[in-house]
Parts: sequence; structure tokens; C-alpha cells
Amino acid sequence: MTLAADPRAVFTHVQPAPKLRRQLTNEPIKSVSSGTLLISTITLLALLALWFVATQLGWASPLFLPSPAEVLTQFHAVAIDGYADGTLIQHTLASLGRILVALAIGVVLGVPLGLLMGLNRWIRGTLSVPIGLYWGLPPLAYLPLLIIWLGIGESSKIVLLSLSTFAPICFSAQAGVRSVPAERINAALSLGATRLRLFTNIILPSALPEILTGLRIAVAAGLSCLVAAELIAARSGLGYMIMSAANFLSTDVVFVGLILIAILAFLFAIGMRWLERKLVPWKGKI
Amino acid sequence: MLQIRDASVTFPASDGSAVHALDHVSLDIAPDSIVVAVGASGCGKSTLLNAIAGFLPLTEGSIMLDGEEIDRPGGDRGVVFQKDTLLPWASVVDNVALGLKFAGVAKTARRERARELLDLVGLADFADKPPYELSGGMRQRVGLARALATDPKILLMDEPFGALDSLTRETMQQLLASIWARTGKQILFITHSIEEALTLGTTVVVMSPRPGRIVARFEAGFVREFAETGDIGPILSDPNFIQLREEIRALIHRPAGKGTLQ
Ligand SMILES: Nc1ncnc2c1ncn2[C@@H]1O[C@H](COP(=O)(O)OP(=O)(O)OP(=O)(O)O)[C@@H](O)[C@H]1O
Ligand SMILES: [Mg+2]
Repeated sequence: MTLAADPRAVFTHVQPAPKLRRQLTNEPIKSVSSGTLLISTITLLALLALWFVATQLGWASPLFLPSPAEVLTQFHAVAIDGYADGTLIQHTLASLGRILVALAIGVVLGVPLGLLMGLNRWIRGTLSVPIGLYWGLPPLAYLPLLIIWLGIGESSKIVLLSLSTFAPICFSAQAGVRSVPAERINAALSLGATRLRLFTNIILPSALPEILTGLRIAVAAGLSCLVAAELIAARSGLGYMIMSAANFLSTDVVFVGLILIAILAFLFAIGMRWLERKLVPWKGKI
Repeated sequence: MLQIRDASVTFPASDGSAVHALDHVSLDIAPDSIVVAVGASGCGKSTLLNAIAGFLPLTEGSIMLDGEEIDRPGGDRGVVFQKDTLLPWASVVDNVALGLKFAGVAKTARRERARELLDLVGLADFADKPPYELSGGMRQRVGLARALATDPKILLMDEPFGALDSLTRETMQQLLASIWARTGKQILFITHSIEEALTLGTTVVVMSPRPGRIVARFEAGFVREFAETGDIGPILSDPNFIQLREEIRALIHRPAGKGTLQ
């Protein structure tokens, strides 16, 4: 092998180590996130292995801890034949539908109201009282009241979930407006911005990162409310399926439900990250 | 022509007393002049500029621009801030075009004009980048281009180069001097640096704190030479320059409460 054949080869011995080189060139350092991804994957596999070993060695009765194989079998059975008046897909879609409707209501009502609260002292003073009051309550405490008012049908659950998604979105939109730097507003005004232009071109985009943070909180609040509400009062949904299975001590079906909820939460997290990358790639810059 | 007449601004202090940030200040800024206000920290320089920009109401007195009273921010006064206030979601060229957008100029026309201005400040190659990929000095140049884009009557600059290293600072001073020489824009410039004040000002006003007043006023012509040659060296060693610099230094460092000059 001659060194002269490939001129780059001459310099290989003086090139910085790969890690250093990545910092020298301006490409983003991905090793941070992929590094944790690897660790997380290993941890997940270890947990699965532990689960497998625990059931294999009979550390716990299958009534308390079903084996992975049993859960997988049940997964298949529930997916095809269904459980508690519905197939797995139907239960999942019922839950997903509820939370998506609630998120939509939370955004449609929460964003404009939050923006108004951020802009106007009177609206802020008036609305922050009722919102603050109910947001301080655990949602399950007023679910019985909602059931008395609205019955046990879909509406009581949708209202409960919408209440839990509305508040964080509304408060974050308000905080987003209030956190716009005064200098940025002054700069726009001295460039001749009208009030409407100031709102659409400066305040709204400035508040967007906060609004997305609120949406993230709303997703988490909505998910925990969703399952809890379905455990208490529902005829469909993953929470309902879990509750029905628990009544018959079908622990394996309970596991199927839990795993699906975990997957759902994970997908929401990925979706939120995608949304942030799409809408506010400049977040945290400047 | 900007006319400031007996302008006073009083802030309520947290202990209930009053802070006289500006006390009966009168000042004219003629077309084609650069007025530089210099003084110790807290002497009311920013207060003066913010009042002219319309960010701050006067407690007393009046400010008129071409015979019209100023009472709110407006596009006729371009402001360059110490900290850049560029919008992170818009490209550099769209940041420069922001004022034109507010004025209703069509997209292609305003981008064309913005590109001309970026060319003027030497950033034509960065037009399509987001502002956060630029250095501090570059961002300040974008801020200058943005303020110039709407062709305001007066340019207000509050320590625009204060956060820059001395090399970048000198380049920015050259740039400002040459833009002023070309456009003849009236400028109010605020700085801590006596040398910067004398290099850039056709008029230098010295302010003193508590109450905020103008204690002296000097005419200086070094900026014309600076704009022509772009070389600060000979100016800094000019005996006139040195004499003025020492005079101003003595004024600023005079212990407080010993009366005023004039
Ligand atoms: N919003 C405010 N409330 C109360 N006092 C204020 C306010 N803004 C400024 N002051 C006071 O007014 C005086 C002048 O402030 P100003 O910001 O104009 O000073 P400055 O000359 O710009 O100082 P620096 O060079 O440090 O920027 C200071 O004593 C300051 O404490
Ligand atoms: Mg200041």
C-alpha cells in the first residue's frame, strides 16, 4: 500500500480523534442522544429478561405475574377475539379518540383564552380564578359530579379530559405572551408595527414554544385522567378493559392493557418532539 | 430636526422617593449630525433615548420631531438596541425587511431592499441564515440594517457596540461613520466610551447623574475624517482629540454634588 496513492492517507495519522473532529466541524453532536438511546434499550431488555427469569423460576404465582409468553398469547387472543365487548383495536381507538378530542378542545379553547389572558389584565384577573380553582382539584374528585350532571356516557369523560388538557394549555399560552421580551415589542413598535401586526408577527410566534410545552403537559395530564376515568365509568377503552380483566383476575390481560398504554404514551412523546422540531426549531436560540 | 425642550423623567423609587432620571434636558439634533451622549452609568442616557423612541412618557417637557410631538413609538425613529432583538424564527433578510413588511411593502420588493441593506453592512452572504447562526457583531449589523430599511428620520442607538470586542467595535464604528457620511442621517448615539463619543460625534454631550442633566456640550469634527480615511489611528493621536478627551474625562469623573459646569 503506497501512501501517495491516496493523498488523504498521508494525513490520517494527524487527524484528530473522531469525537474531537465532530466538535471541530460544525455538525451537531448526536452522540448524546444516541448514547442514552442505547443505554435505555439495554435497560428495557434487561427488565424484560428479569421478567422472563422471574416467571420462569416461579418467583411469583402466575396470578400475580404472568409470563411474557402468556401475555403475548393473550395479546393475540384479545386482538383477534376481543375482551370486554371489544377487540384490542376497538378499545385502543376508543381511548385514543377520547384523548384526541379532549386535546383538540383544550387547544381550541385554551390557546385563544390564554392569549387573551396574557394580553388583558381584566380577562386575566377574571378567568384565572375559576381555572385556578378547578385545576387545583384532583380530576377524579369531581368526576362523580360530572357523572351526576352529564350521565355516564361519553360526554362526562370528554368534559373531564378537556378540563384537564385545557388548563395547562391556557396557562402556558398566557405565560408565553407575558414572557415576550419588552425589547422585542419595543423594537417592533419602532419599526412601525400596528397592534394587530404586533400580535400576529411578534407575540404569537414568541409564545409558541411555551404553548407547545403546555401541550406536552396536557398530553400527560390527559393520559392519566383518561385511564382513571375509564377505570371508573366506561363501556370501552383500555382502562375499562384493564378493570374488567382485573375483576376476573386475568392478570395477563391487565398486562396487555398496560403495555398498550405505555406504547400510546411513548408515541405521544415522539409526536410532541416532532411537532416542536417542525414548529419551533429556533427554540432556546438567542 | 429633533427638538428636546425641558424634558424631565421621574421614576418612583422602591423606597417611595423620586428618581430624577432626566432633569430639564434640552437638546437639538440637526439633520446631518451625530449627537453622542456620554456619561457615567445611571446618568439617564437610556432614559433620554427611550423617551425619544416613545417607549417612555416624559414627566415634563416635550420632544418634537420635524414639528410633531412624540408620544409613542413609531417607524420614523429607527432604534438599534444594545442587545440584539432579531426574531429567531425569521431569516436574516426577513428580519431586515420587518419594518417594510409592517409598512405594507410586497414580499419581493421588501426582500430586494433588505438585500441591498445587507450588502451595505457587508452581510449579503448571510441573508438566508437564521440570526442565531451569526456572531454578535454580525447581529448588530443586521440590527443596523433593519433600522435603516424603513429610512427613518433619525437613528437612535443605545450603546449598540457596548457588548462587542474592541476589534469588531472598531469595524462597526467605521461602518457607522461611512453610512452616516453617505446618507447624512441624523443620529443619537449613546456610549460609555469617551473615545467612541469623540470619534463618532459631530456633537458630544456630557451627562451627569442624579439628577440626569447635560453638563457640557462639545463640537467635534473627527467623524468626517474618520469616515473618509477609515483609519482611527491618526485621530486618536491628534492633540485636539486628546485635549477634548481629557476635558470630558475630568467632567465625568468630577465628584458628584459639586455643582454644574457652564
Ligand atoms: N424603570 C425604572 N424605575 C426606576 N428607576 C429607573 C428606571 N429606569 C431607570 N431608572 C433610574 O434612572 C436613572 C437613569 O437610568 P438610565 O438607564 O437612563 O441610565 P444610563 O445612563 O442609561 O445608565 P447605563 O449607562 O448604565 O445604561 C438611574 O438612576 C436608574 O436607577
Ligand atoms: Mg443605559
